[in-house]
Amino acid sequence: MFSYLKEYFDFRACLICLALVIIGLMSIYSATFDINNAANFYKQVLWAGIGLIVMLVTAFIPLRTIQRLSFAFYFTTFAILIIVLVIGSTVKGSKSWFGIGGIGGQPSEFAKVATVLAFASFLSKTDVSISQIKHLVIALCIFAAPMFLILAEPDLGTTIVFFAALLPLLYWAGVSNFILIAILVPILVALGALLGTAQFLIVSILGGVLLYYFRENRFAFAVALGIALAVGLSVQIMYEHMHVYQQKRITTFLNPEADQLGAGYNVVQSKIAIGSGGFIGKGFLKGTQTQLNYIPEQWTDFIFCVLGEEFGFLGASIVLSLFAALSLHGLKVANISKNKFGSLSAIGITGILTTHIIINIGMAMGLMPVIGLPLPFMSYGGSALIANMIMVGLLMNFYANRKEY
Amino acid sequence: MMNVEEIGTSSRKRVLTIIIISAFVFLLLRLFQLQLLYHTEFGKKSDENSVRTIVKEPVRGYMFDRNGKLVVDVGPAYSITVTPASFNTSTLSFLSSLLQMEPSVIQERLDRGIIYSRFSPVRVKRDVDFKTLAAVEENLYRLPGVTYEIESKRIYPYNVRAPHLLGYCKEITDAQLAKVGSAYQQGDIIGSSGLEASYETFLRGEKGFEFISVNSKGQLLGPLEGGRRDIPSKEGFDLNLSVDFGLQMLAESLMTNYRGALVAIDPNDGGVLAFVSKPDFDPSVFSGVMSVEVWNKLNTNPDKLLFNRATMTRYPPGSTFKMLIAAAALEEGIIDEHYRITCSGAFRFGNKVFKDMHVHGSVNVVEAIQRSCDVFFYQLVLKVGLDKLYEYGNKFGFGQLTSFDIGEETAGLIPSAEYYNRVYGKGKWTQGYIVSLGIGQGEVGVSPLQMARYAALLANGGTLLQPHAVNSIRNKRTNSLDIIDHKESSVGIDSSVMRLIREGMRRVVEAPGGTGGMARIQGIVSAGKTGTAQNPHGADHAWYIGFAPFDHPKIAIAVLLENAGMGGVKAAPIAGKVMQRYIFGELPLKANSDSSGVSLNGTTEHSFNTREQ
Repeated sequence: MFSYLKEYFDFRACLICLALVIIGLMSIYSATFDINNAANFYKQVLWAGIGLIVMLVTAFIPLRTIQRLSFAFYFTTFAILIIVLVIGSTVKGSKSWFGIGGIGGQPSEFAKVATVLAFASFLSKTDVSISQIKHLVIALCIFAAPMFLILAEPDLGTTIVFFAALLPLLYWAGVSNFILIAILVPILVALGALLGTAQFLIVSILGGVLLYYFRENRFAFAVALGIALAVGLSVQIMYEHMHVYQQKRITTFLNPEADQLGAGYNVVQSKIAIGSGGFIGKGFLKGTQTQLNYIPEQWTDFIFCVLGEEFGFLGASIVLSLFAALSLHGLKVANISKNKFGSLSAIGITGILTTHIIINIGMAMGLMPVIGLPLPFMSYGGSALIANMIMVGLLMNFYANRKEY
Repeated sequence: MMNVEEIGTSSRKRVLTIIIISAFVFLLLRLFQLQLLYHTEFGKKSDENSVRTIVKEPVRGYMFDRNGKLVVDVGPAYSITVTPASFNTSTLSFLSSLLQMEPSVIQERLDRGIIYSRFSPVRVKRDVDFKTLAAVEENLYRLPGVTYEIESKRIYPYNVRAPHLLGYCKEITDAQLAKVGSAYQQGDIIGSSGLEASYETFLRGEKGFEFISVNSKGQLLGPLEGGRRDIPSKEGFDLNLSVDFGLQMLAESLMTNYRGALVAIDPNDGGVLAFVSKPDFDPSVFSGVMSVEVWNKLNTNPDKLLFNRATMTRYPPGSTFKMLIAAAALEEGIIDEHYRITCSGAFRFGNKVFKDMHVHGSVNVVEAIQRSCDVFFYQLVLKVGLDKLYEYGNKFGFGQLTSFDIGEETAGLIPSAEYYNRVYGKGKWTQGYIVSLGIGQGEVGVSPLQMARYAALLANGGTLLQPHAVNSIRNKRTNSLDIIDHKESSVGIDSSVMRLIREGMRRVVEAPGGTGGMARIQGIVSAGKTGTAQNPHGADHAWYIGFAPFDHPKIAIAVLLENAGMGGVKAAPIAGKVMQRYIFGELPLKANSDSSGVSLNGTTEHSFNTREQ
């Protein structure tokens, strides 16, 4: 009986997800219980309940139906993104909140999934091949359209996530190494240009060598290198023409700890919280950094430091392992899925979740710039939790239907 | 099926697996680094973050006089403090009206405090009166970050003064702060002169700390771990002084109208019994808040109120110096007790005439001291010579610091040949320069404290003592008494020599023809020497040094009155009264009237019964 269930029900994804949600609820409880934010905990419990139902429903919808509805889903979220941009309310400086009556959400959380599904759906059409430039361009446009809308909100974090999902998707879909590198190199060159001329030159040379190594023909190589250099140079010129405060914003973004009282404050406090947790942590509800509210709105993007402080290395490494297991499981689902739609979607979903995890935890530990990205399943926030649980539901679905062609 | 075949090749799966695994391993290593390798450092930071340390000021040590009387006490002082991190600047003007301070002054104090820490309270106003305290307390709820703390301040019962000895405490200056380091903070009180300064480390005690949990907004949440980690402040140690404050107050009142100094010493151990420098000030002006005006008044007073005339001055000793010259001459065998000189009222040396007040006729060394014959000593100092004079001067403690308890002291000057060479050039000075040294004039400078030690040395027969004001320190933590050892050394003068000199000094007071009769004490025999030091800037300085009782001295004294005239007239009676008070415990008022039987004919001094002020 159980082996039969195991054949069609993805226990691993489901249980990992539930474990993370429960640990996340505990962390949110700890971060909010004694201040006037305890309501957040109960709201999150409610969202988790809804999420669980949505996840299970998603897991059992016929795969074909999902594939067929992909574009509908995609265009709906796309439309909502436009509406949000026009009439949406501004939360923390970006127009990303969509609400009707008392209910609202962040459509960009759902747009990520929708885009991945649409992309996978397009590429899994029998007459579509990624090796055709025309199809590649269409596939890229499917990604680029919502990405630009989200960038315009502006929500840099989600834009980065889009990009981080796109690269493995293209890679998985079989795009040549050269094209992948030709997409990647200008971005790295632009980053190098922001860091300084020396970095710009080093990255450009390395990028050039990579492009040359993977070159398909000389013309393509020259075009790709030209684009990379043009992007890098224009970024550098733009940077030099910026106001000092804008430049400072960028340097603080790249190195938050340089500004200990401003943008770096959260990172400094977050590192203190995690570091002071030690091996076994200070105990549930006993983290001083958490309980004394040293990190503003810790229950959102900095939820990982509650974990680090109160449960220590033991607790945090268990959670890291759960996340790693989920990522690898996503990859496995993509690998064993015999249908192209499920396989590509699984890769996209894995890319989205993994990017969130790495950037969020890296940020809490002072390894990454402070980008407003929630930690999947754990950070407070209804839209993200439900969207993430939908993604796990999809993974479960692809697992169950992995033998379907 | 074809499509599926071309996506997700196994090599690409491997690449993605490696990327995912290495990203998570990277995070895990960072976690390991933060939580295990840097745990101590971050743990400390986390403690500092969430715990506010409240400093509890220690109670400063007390001072008791030689009779066990509490003379320097402490009482509570309420200071209004503001913690910059939690202060709401919009309440600044309200606070300034409550404290009656300029907002800019408060702001300046806060700005200075922020340099050290935004979270440490800054004392905005010290020692506020109860009315102000009550007004602030009533409005505390409207003034976030404002509170008050109790500190101790000096209280002087009995209106004790002795400011130059006791010293005072002041808010620490930036320069002091840079020197003393971490035990002090801006706004702390530190002993800044006198005993308060030199015994600062004992008197101060140790700060205590209370640990209070604080949230990120700086709101106090209550004692950390129920106060178990609090460190109580430790009281400062008490000083037991050698000073007799009854005597001190009499001496101060006798000196009231003079500029000068009086130092009385116990010739048996060097303990200072009274220490007066006039004019002075009430030390309690320093104990609360001192306004700039009061400070300026003190500091710029033309009489130099803060200046310690007992230790920081270099007066010529005048005729009180004669015993030193006599001791050198006798000890070196240059003269003996039978050696005589005939005084004709002047001494010619080269083409210069050195005058005497009187024609003393033939005098030996004892008579020369008794009657203060200048001619005798003009000639004697030439026989002794500069080198021996310098040697004996140093033996008797001149030209060097006395190692008295307080830091404010100058060494004074005993000239040497080297000194004259330096000042006038080699060969450009003559023996004539040293003639006037015979009567304690010229290039010789002594402090009243050195003179009191000199008087004590003559009293005890040749022991140079370390004058001191603190006999012992009471360690209140162990309740043990730490008795301080003081240096003493014999000057190595033969007792027969000392006997002659003491006899001369006895006759100064007790015999007809002595210059110090006005220091006479009813009922006991005392000894002394008057001095009248010429002073190019004004009237003569009056000196008197002495000791009593003659046989077993209990007190030695030096009195100096600036520009007061004759030592025997002005200084001697004050010395006499102080010694009398010390020996008899009180001043027998009647003594003045029924002592008229003693006649002092042949002296320049007034008769004893006319010394009523």
